[in-house]
Amino acid sequence: MRIRRNRGAMGREISEKRKRQCAKLLEISKDIVGQAFDRFKNEELGITWTGGKDSSLTLWIIRQVCQEKGIPIPKTMIIDEGDEFEEIGEFVKRIKGSWNVPLEVCRNEDVLKAAHYTLNTSVKVKDLSERNQAELKRIGFDREEFPFEAESYVGNHLMKTVVFDEFLERNKIKGVFQGLRWDEHPTRFNDEYFEHREAAYLVPEHTRIRPILHLTEKDLWDTYAAFKIPYCRLYERGYRSLGAKTTSQISVQGVPAWEQDLENTEERAGRRQDKEKAMERMRKLGYM
Amino acid sequence: MRNVILLTIDTLRRDVLGCYGGGFTTFLDSIQNHCIQFNQAYSTAPYTQAAFTGILASSYYLEHGKQKMLSWEKVLISEVLEKAGFTTAGFHSNPYISTYLGWNRGWDIFYDSMEDEVNEKTPYIKAKEINRKVDTWLSSHVRAETYKPFFLWVHYMDLHEPYIPDREYIDIVDPTLQMTEEEMFRLFKEVLLKRDVSDRGIVGVLRKLYSAHVLEVDDALKDFFGILEKWNVLKESCVILTTDHGEEFGEHGGLSHDGKMYSELVHVPLIIYEPTREQREMCNVLVSTIDIPPTIVYLFGLRQVNHLQGHSLLPLSDYPVRGVFGEAMDKQGSHENGEEKEIHYYRERDFKIIYRERDDSWELYNLKVDPKEMNNIIEGSPQTEVMKQKVRPRVRRYQK
Repeated sequence: MRIRRNRGAMGREISEKRKRQCAKLLEISKDIVGQAFDRFKNEELGITWTGGKDSSLTLWIIRQVCQEKGIPIPKTMIIDEGDEFEEIGEFVKRIKGSWNVPLEVCRNEDVLKAAHYTLNTSVKVKDLSERNQAELKRIGFDREEFPFEAESYVGNHLMKTVVFDEFLERNKIKGVFQGLRWDEHPTRFNDEYFEHREAAYLVPEHTRIRPILHLTEKDLWDTYAAFKIPYCRLYERGYRSLGAKTTSQISVQGVPAWEQDLENTEERAGRRQDKEKAMERMRKLGYM
Repeated sequence: MRNVILLTIDTLRRDVLGCYGGGFTTFLDSIQNHCIQFNQAYSTAPYTQAAFTGILASSYYLEHGKQKMLSWEKVLISEVLEKAGFTTAGFHSNPYISTYLGWNRGWDIFYDSMEDEVNEKTPYIKAKEINRKVDTWLSSHVRAETYKPFFLWVHYMDLHEPYIPDREYIDIVDPTLQMTEEEMFRLFKEVLLKRDVSDRGIVGVLRKLYSAHVLEVDDALKDFFGILEKWNVLKESCVILTTDHGEEFGEHGGLSHDGKMYSELVHVPLIIYEPTREQREMCNVLVSTIDIPPTIVYLFGLRQVNHLQGHSLLPLSDYPVRGVFGEAMDKQGSHENGEEKEIHYYRERDFKIIYRERDDSWELYNLKVDPKEMNNIIEGSPQTEVMKQKVRPRVRRYQK
C-alpha cells in the first residue's frame, strides 16, 4: 500500500481560492469536534472508522483537533464484517501506525463462528447466543436460519448495529463520532451534527456526532487533495463508495472517484442492490 | 394513549367493508363498538407513492417536485416521533415506499421485504407473514426493561393485484366460481393489465376474486389484534386503520388504480379504534388522510408540528369544516408511452372538481345527486368558478 505524500494528492492542483473554501468547511468541522470535547470527557468519546473516505476524513479532523489540544485520539472502532477488501485492511493498518490510533477491531464473533467464517453459509438461529437471538427478535426476524451476508437486512443488523451498540456499552461511550454527510444519501438530510439517542431495549443512551455533515462529495475530495490527506487506493480504481467487498462495485472502471460525475450520478449506486430489487417488485405488481 | 398503531391496507375499497355497507368483514365489524368511523375520508391520491406522502408526511405529492424519490423536504411522522424519543417500527412489502425510495427515514426498525424472494403470483410478503414479524418484534419489545411507547406502522399488500385468493375464501364469495391459479393469473395478464373492461362478466369475476382477498385480509386483521392482545398492548394502543387508495372495477372505464380521482379510488375507509371506547361513533365531516400524522402527534400528547399540513382528527369537536385536496400524476406514462401529467381534485360540501393537465379539462360533480360521478356539470353550474378558484393555485402551470 502506497500513501501519497509530499506532492499534490491524486496528482491534482487545487486553486488557492478553492483551498480556502475547503479550509472554511474544515473550520466548521473542527468546531463541532471541539464542542464534543467540551461536552464529553475524552474517555467518554468514541470514533467509528471504516477505512472509507468519510470516516477517514473525520478521523483526520479529530486528530488535528487532538494535536492542537495536546490530547490523545479517542478510542476508535472498526467493524470486521468478515467480508473486507484487503486494500482497506492495509490502509487501516498503515494509518493506525502512523497516526497512533487507539484502534479496537470489533466483530460479532458469535455469528462469524456460526457461519464458519464463510460467506453465504446458512446460519441457524438456535446456534447463536442469547443476545444475538434477542437482536433478531428485535428486528422481527422470525425464521430458523439465514444466509451469512454482511449487508442484508439481518446481516447488517447483527454485524454492524449490534457490534456498534456493544462497543458503546463495553467502553461506556457517551458520544460517538460518525462520518456521515448530508449529500451522501437523501435519507440523511434531516440528520443533525449532534443527535441524542435515548436508551432503548439493547441500545445504550448516546449522542452521535457528525463533523463532516455539511461536506459534499466534491468538497470531500477537494479537501483530500488540498491538504494531502491519505486515502485508500481503491478510490483511484473507480470505486466511489466502499462497503463489504462482495457488494461494492466499481462505479466507473479506471476513473478515480473524484473525476467521476459527482453531481449527476448516485454515489452509493455501486453499493445498492435495492434499486434492482424494488424495480423487479414494481414490475411484478403490474407497473411499468 | 401509550402506543399508536397505523394499519394501512393497500388497495382497499371503502364499500367492501361491512361497516361501510359492504357485507364481508366479520372481524372488522365485530370491533366497531370501539371505533370512530369516518364516512367522508379522502385520500390525497389514487396510488401508493403519492398517497403515502399524505398518510406519513401530512403533505401533498407534488409539493416538492415530481421526483419518485421521497423529497428531503418532506418529514415523515416516524422522524418526528423518533426525535421525540418514541420507538418507531414499520413492516410492509410495497416497493414504492421502500428504503430505495427513501421511506426508511426515522424508523428504528424498518422492514420493507425487498430482499425476500417472492413469486410473480404473489409478488409481496403476505399479511400473515407480516403479522408474524410484528409478533416477533413485539415479543422482544414489550419484555425490554426500557419499554418505550411505540409507533407501529403495518401495511398489508394482499388486496393488490394479481388477484389469486385461496380457495377457502373464493368459496365464501361464490362457491360456483371454479378457477385454477393459472386461470386467475391469466386474467391478471390478459384483462387487468390491459385495462380491458369490454366484458362485464369478466370484470365481475375480477371483483369477486378481489372480494375473496378482502376476507383474507379480515382474517389477517383478526390475527393482528390477537397478537396485540397476546402481548397485552391492545388495551393501551390506539389503532388507526385506513388505505392508500381504492380500486376501480370499470366504473370509469378502467381497472386497477391509475391516475384518476374518482370516488372508487380516493373516497376511502378510515377508522380509529380506541380500546376505552364502548360505543361506535360516526363522523360525517369531510376529512383527509393528511390528517393522520397530526392525529398521531395528538395521541402521543406532543405539541403539534408546524410542517404537518393536516389537522388532528381528535378531539372530533375541534375539527374544522374544510375542503379536501388531492394531487398526483395521471400515470398514463407508466402503461403507455408518453409523459405523465398532473391531475388534481378538490371536494367541498357536496361538490367535487377534477382538473386534468393532459387535456386542460375540468369536471364537476354534485355528489349528493350523482355519487357515482357520471354527470359532469362543469358547464353552467353556479359552483364552477368558485371550485376552479380553489384548484388553480395548486396547478403548477398557474403558479407563475
